[in-house]
Amino acid sequence: MTRFLLLRGLVLIAMLLGVSMLAFAIPWLQGGDPARAIIQARVADQAVDQTAIEGLRAQLGLDRPFTAQYAHWLGDVLHGDFGLSFTSRTPVADAVGHALMISALLAVSALAVAFIIAVPLGTIAALRPGGLFDGTMTLLTQAVVALPEYWLAPVGILVFALHLHLLPSAGFTSPSSMVLPVGVLALRPMAYLLRVTRASMLDVLAAPYITAARSRGLGMTRTLLRHGLRNGILPVVTLLALWLAGLMGGSVVIEVIFAIPGMGRLMYEAVVDKDLPMLQAGLVCIVGLAVLINTATDTLALAINPVLRGARGGR
Amino acid sequence: MAGAEAATTRRPPPGVWVSGAVTGVIVLALLFAPLIAPHDPARQDLLHRFAGPSVLHWLGTDHLGRDEWSRLLLGGRFAVSIAALSLVLSLGIGVLVGVLAARAGGWLDEAIMRLVDLLISFPDVVVALFMVALMGTGQATLVVALTVVSWTPFARMMRGLARDIYHRDYVRAAEILGCSRWFIILRHVIPNAIRPVFAMALLRFGHKLIVVGGLSFLGLGVQPPMSDWGSMLAESRRYMEREPMLVLAPGLAIFITALAVTLLGQGLDTMRDRR
Repeated sequence: MTRFLLLRGLVLIAMLLGVSMLAFAIPWLQGGDPARAIIQARVADQAVDQTAIEGLRAQLGLDRPFTAQYAHWLGDVLHGDFGLSFTSRTPVADAVGHALMISALLAVSALAVAFIIAVPLGTIAALRPGGLFDGTMTLLTQAVVALPEYWLAPVGILVFALHLHLLPSAGFTSPSSMVLPVGVLALRPMAYLLRVTRASMLDVLAAPYITAARSRGLGMTRTLLRHGLRNGILPVVTLLALWLAGLMGGSVVIEVIFAIPGMGRLMYEAVVDKDLPMLQAGLVCIVGLAVLINTATDTLALAINPVLRGARGGR
Repeated sequence: MAGAEAATTRRPPPGVWVSGAVTGVIVLALLFAPLIAPHDPARQDLLHRFAGPSVLHWLGTDHLGRDEWSRLLLGGRFAVSIAALSLVLSLGIGVLVGVLAARAGGWLDEAIMRLVDLLISFPDVVVALFMVALMGTGQATLVVALTVVSWTPFARMMRGLARDIYHRDYVRAAEILGCSRWFIILRHVIPNAIRPVFAMALLRFGHKLIVVGGLSFLGLGVQPPMSDWGSMLAESRRYMEREPMLVLAPGLAIFITALAVTLLGQGLDTMRDRR
């Protein structure tokens, strides 16, 4: 266990360093001149004064070697300083922190809804595999996965906001404005969670201890709660964590459509505006979070399930 | 476990023929789109904007008076071809990496699989945003962006299958006969594992199609004057109260295409399970 934690910790640090280096190197990878790119992003003019570029280059230390610049930048980043946004001229770290909170709220709400609906439905589907309910659920999950959210969201706005006047069409401030984005965002993870719950419960329900519990006279509901879900929930939780990592920056379309100032929209706007510091900070945070959640899930799975500990090496 | 699984797969795979036929019709329609399309999809007719469905314009016209049905036919080519191309690349890379990991074993295998574990959790939209920032918009960007992380599930699956196949008698026999490493990989390992991998490719197609459309919707995919289903949705969103058909049609096109290919993949997958 200690060895595993140590190893994963090292991998975590190596990954973060790698990503930060990649993020820092964006302007070089683009093949352009960073100083020119900065001025162009600021003034939106292709013809830039050469002396201004030279001045900025010296001012920002862009004439120093790459490694020295990276070390300097990394030092700032470790102190929580990602620099100023090219477009708004405000600290990037504040904007990213704020956006992360909003995206986290959106992601956690959507995943909570998905989990609450998917686990019971998946379990019921597993009780009679191949039955009517199971077949319906299989078809429904496939249909849901094939639905683009950039279609579902406008249609949802059209029906619930413009025609029925039940919900606001954008924003993320009041509980009622959260209903549509959370609902649309929850559908896809719900379908995947349902599938995994069903598969996992199928495995568990065939296990001897379920038969033993049933033959002891334990009712189906109690058997499911006490033995079934307890043993079958681990793959579901793993998938849930994977989705959490994915949704922290991945709900770009939903955030853009509903005008939610989250991480996905921040990244999208940074790309459109060529706002380099914002892009770097966003990338480091999103990937960092993904790696962190990934490591935490693996560690947790290991702590919960002793069976995995022996199997780890031979996987 | 075996009993429960058998029960789910005893019935013939539902709708394989239907989904296969729908997929075939869509592919043919997109392939011959320039011949089928009744109008020039780019021709504007500002006097007949938002014309409802009619004999002349089956799905009506959009905000510039362009024929929606013709635009739908030609717009599908971009998203579907990008999705298919990146899927083929992902499959190729995944199969190769998976076989090599299984063949190599040891620390290399472990390192590759750790990388796979990690990349699988990356949201592909964020990867695509990053690639757009690096390379600018364009078809090459899209293909690269959609391949960079999506080879990973193929690699994981292929590794599992290949490890199994390497323990089979016929591989042992081939090794004893002195067949080369690559001959065994190409003649035995890949052919015996390719069906489930191919089924998974079909299962992932819908997701790809939706991501490509999403990027076009955001203005980072297809660039004007070309258009695809995602960009058509984005354009018509402003007029959706006036003419809902313009939003419904491209969305349905994505939905039906994605669903048909997914069901086809599902069907092929169950057929494999039944053996």
